[in-house]
Amino acid sequence: MKNLGLYIHIPFCVKKCNYCDFYSLGCPSHENTEEYVRALCTHIGREGKKHRDKIVDTVFIGGGTPSVLSENSIKSLITCLKSSFNIAEDAEISIEVNPGTVTKEKAMLYRSLGINRVSMGLQSVNDNELKMLGRIHTFDEFKSSYKALRDGGIDNINIDIMYALPNQKTADLIKTVDSVCEFEPSHISAYCLKIEENTHFYKIKDTLCLPDEDEQYNMYLTLCDRLEKMGYEQYEISNFAKKGSRCVHNLKYWLSCEYLAFGPSAHSFVDGVRYSYKGDIKEYVGAIKSGQEPNKILEAEYTLTEEEKIDEYVMLRMRLADGVDTEKFFSRFGISFIDRYPKLKKYEKDGYVIHQNGKYAFTKKGFFVSNFILSDILENI
Amino acid sequence: MNDRQKKIRNFSIIAHIDHGKSTLADRILEYSNAVSKREMEEQILDNMDLERERGITIKARAVRINYTHKDGQEYVLNLIDTPGHVDFNYEVSRSLNACEGALLVVDSTQGIEAQTLANAYLAVDCDLEIVPVINKIDLPSADVDRVRKEIEDVIGIVAEGCPAVSAKVGLNIDTVLDAIVENIPAPKGDENAPLKCLIFDSHYNAYLGVVVYVRVMDGTLKAGDKIKMMSSGAEYDVVEVGYLNALGLEKGEELKAGEVGYITASIKTVSETKVGDTVTTAENGASEPLEGFKEALPMVFSGIYPADGARYNDLRDALEKLKLNDAALSFEAETSIALGFGFRCGFLGLLHMEIIQERLEREFNLDLITTAPSVIYKIEKTNGEVIYIDNPSNYPAPDTIATAYEPTVRANIITPTEFVGGIMDLCQDRRGTFKDMKYLDASRVELHYILPLNEIVYDFFDALKSRSRGYASLDYEFADYEPSNLVKLDFLLNGEIVDALTFIVHSEKAYTRARKIAEKLKENISRQLFEIPIQAAIGSKIIARETVRALRKDVLAKCYGGDITRKKKLLEKQKEGKKKMRRLGSVEVTPEAFMAVLKLDDSEK
Repeated sequence: MKNLGLYIHIPFCVKKCNYCDFYSLGCPSHENTEEYVRALCTHIGREGKKHRDKIVDTVFIGGGTPSVLSENSIKSLITCLKSSFNIAEDAEISIEVNPGTVTKEKAMLYRSLGINRVSMGLQSVNDNELKMLGRIHTFDEFKSSYKALRDGGIDNINIDIMYALPNQKTADLIKTVDSVCEFEPSHISAYCLKIEENTHFYKIKDTLCLPDEDEQYNMYLTLCDRLEKMGYEQYEISNFAKKGSRCVHNLKYWLSCEYLAFGPSAHSFVDGVRYSYKGDIKEYVGAIKSGQEPNKILEAEYTLTEEEKIDEYVMLRMRLADGVDTEKFFSRFGISFIDRYPKLKKYEKDGYVIHQNGKYAFTKKGFFVSNFILSDILENI
Repeated sequence: MNDRQKKIRNFSIIAHIDHGKSTLADRILEYSNAVSKREMEEQILDNMDLERERGITIKARAVRINYTHKDGQEYVLNLIDTPGHVDFNYEVSRSLNACEGALLVVDSTQGIEAQTLANAYLAVDCDLEIVPVINKIDLPSADVDRVRKEIEDVIGIVAEGCPAVSAKVGLNIDTVLDAIVENIPAPKGDENAPLKCLIFDSHYNAYLGVVVYVRVMDGTLKAGDKIKMMSSGAEYDVVEVGYLNALGLEKGEELKAGEVGYITASIKTVSETKVGDTVTTAENGASEPLEGFKEALPMVFSGIYPADGARYNDLRDALEKLKLNDAALSFEAETSIALGFGFRCGFLGLLHMEIIQERLEREFNLDLITTAPSVIYKIEKTNGEVIYIDNPSNYPAPDTIATAYEPTVRANIITPTEFVGGIMDLCQDRRGTFKDMKYLDASRVELHYILPLNEIVYDFFDALKSRSRGYASLDYEFADYEPSNLVKLDFLLNGEIVDALTFIVHSEKAYTRARKIAEKLKENISRQLFEIPIQAAIGSKIIARETVRALRKDVLAKCYGGDITRKKKLLEKQKEGKKKMRRLGSVEVTPEAFMAVLKLDDSEK
């Protein structure tokens, strides 16, 4: 039986952060979230029927801030998922939470529902930086939320941090990295701040004093280095894990595995087709309630050509420290990897790419200029 | 003089830019019913989009107007429009020569400006009767009396009782028409003498061939006559003659002395019908041409290349089409190592250059890369040979040069007094030689300088505007070739000369200019995976150096929630950018980098 990942989008936050351009609504009302979860469950039930032949081995409840959902809502959502899909016994079930929106009771509930991985958005241990980012919590609040999770029985925890923040110095980042390591989470994601359109930061971008390219590069190297020393293996450009704690769900994205997504703005990849729903909760809820076909709320749908499949496979796999296994590549596509991408040899010579054990992968220095190199070698993206 | 001639008035309208010349022309046409309201397109004389947008007239036009004067007599008024910019000075003077008088339009809120004066002097040189028209009197800041006085003091013509109008709202237009009839003399000339027609404009028409606009000075011309261009001796059979009315050509029987009209004679390009040339009959023609004919000589040169090399042929076709109607435009194929195949184009001046570039981009949908404008240098070589250089890359080696000469211009700048200091500094900085300074009134000054043209083509106009908050106006004409200490400045990227960036500069300016451009290049060359040295060199001597550091960090896109579209978009964007790049040896450069070095901000100097 084929494996399948599920992604559930919860587009609510207590408050929208200054850098965030994901689809999410601030200040949700109780009624709205209840109604949304009912619509989600209807949609999940309907879609589940089409995928009875698959085994769901990962579920990711993301957002937004899924932890703003009431205990009843999260209970009915998980129950619905379990009754609609064949969810494996040992499936990885993750939920994202924000500090200040989680208690020991909630954590215990998550645990009892089978949720076995929690991803926490911390971003920084510096309260000034948190405020500047528009986060709703302080570092102290993170500490108590983290303890609540642990006390509630959640031991597989990811902590998100960000770097290259306005006015940030490498020393500030080191403080965050070191403090985070003290909590011994099993997984750490470290994202470089990118100023996206339609965010508060974009509006004030000219006033932001961002670290320059060289400083960012230093931050990245320092970060990778320190995390590695603390026993976190970098398995993807931005992701670090203790042994055996890689995020199986996120790996699906990079390994071109199938995943099915629910909610406004959610992206799916099934049977070689990539599609996404419009980022409009009203339209989504309305369409599901009135029993319309999901294609009414599609934002985009695209069937990849054979050529695109190959380039996309490379684009995504090259995010991983493992890179592309040339034998697996050949058996999947029937062509030689290096014959198709001969330019890689040049980058290998210059130390951006490493070729060992039958695999081509970016070096650390290569990761940081991967757009440059990928746009040079991939013809069909 | 016969009765026919007595009822003709040939006149032009001259003005500084934006003083309302075109609007007044519209009102005159409308008032005299040369064109009905319904047919009236705003500013009918300026019928190129670009002219209308820039508010300037690029090519001359002429219109015949029938007007019944208050004395009950019907008059024929021929309005000959003139190009309104210094680049087209020669063409303006030819249009003025076709007239007996000129309306000098002066904005009552601004007063006399540089082009007002330049045009007025041109009109005086052509012995025209000048009729001042004070415009924009509807505006609250209008000061008619001050402007009247200024006209009398500065130009020295009587302005008492001259028409004061608002062309915009149509106020007092009748007084302008009366003044034309009453103050401008009827044309002289003998309709029985040998034919002499002055060409003041021409345009190419796909059906008729070239339509030649003429003023008949002497003689009579009709269809079937065999004519001769006196400058070239080329002969043609006249197919059609007629008048120019507001909405097009009106076929007529014949054209006689004093009249303005058109000729068609199956002529293929406008370069055969040069402005200022004399048309006569092939047999029993005039013995002497009219005075003042000059070939239109380009003064400013620039390399024009298609941004997409595959569109070279489209660019050539477009230039050929423009050339059909623009005898002053010259172009020849050239090759640049950096930019590929393109053309070295010659223009009358900077505005002419900008107009051509804009028309190529707009009307022919071409993306262009243009090199910095250059002038023609005259070089006396040590072996006695004299050569003219219009492309900096061809500048000879220093040891072969005996003396280098550069063109200079007489520049006339009018500015409010408060900016005089800054403008004199600017002229000084641009190697100007001060001639004199005149107060036009208590608040405005006219400055005369001799300036090297190569300093003017290099952002002088922008600098002038920024130092005078837009108030100063400039007018210039070619003066002479003067000996100069010039050097050829090359730029090297990663050790290789980029020919398209080479230019000629005065030796004292070389260092500063080199440093500025190197800095600008650094800002405009995107980082690559290796370090790129930028060097400026005179011969083998490096005089400035910058380094584009190696790229170390891209933007990293997340693939959150399985949304890989962001990542894809980033890659697409990067690829898009790459496609436009020009490969210079091992370095890729965006077209913007070439453009950026053309314009250095004055404030940085």
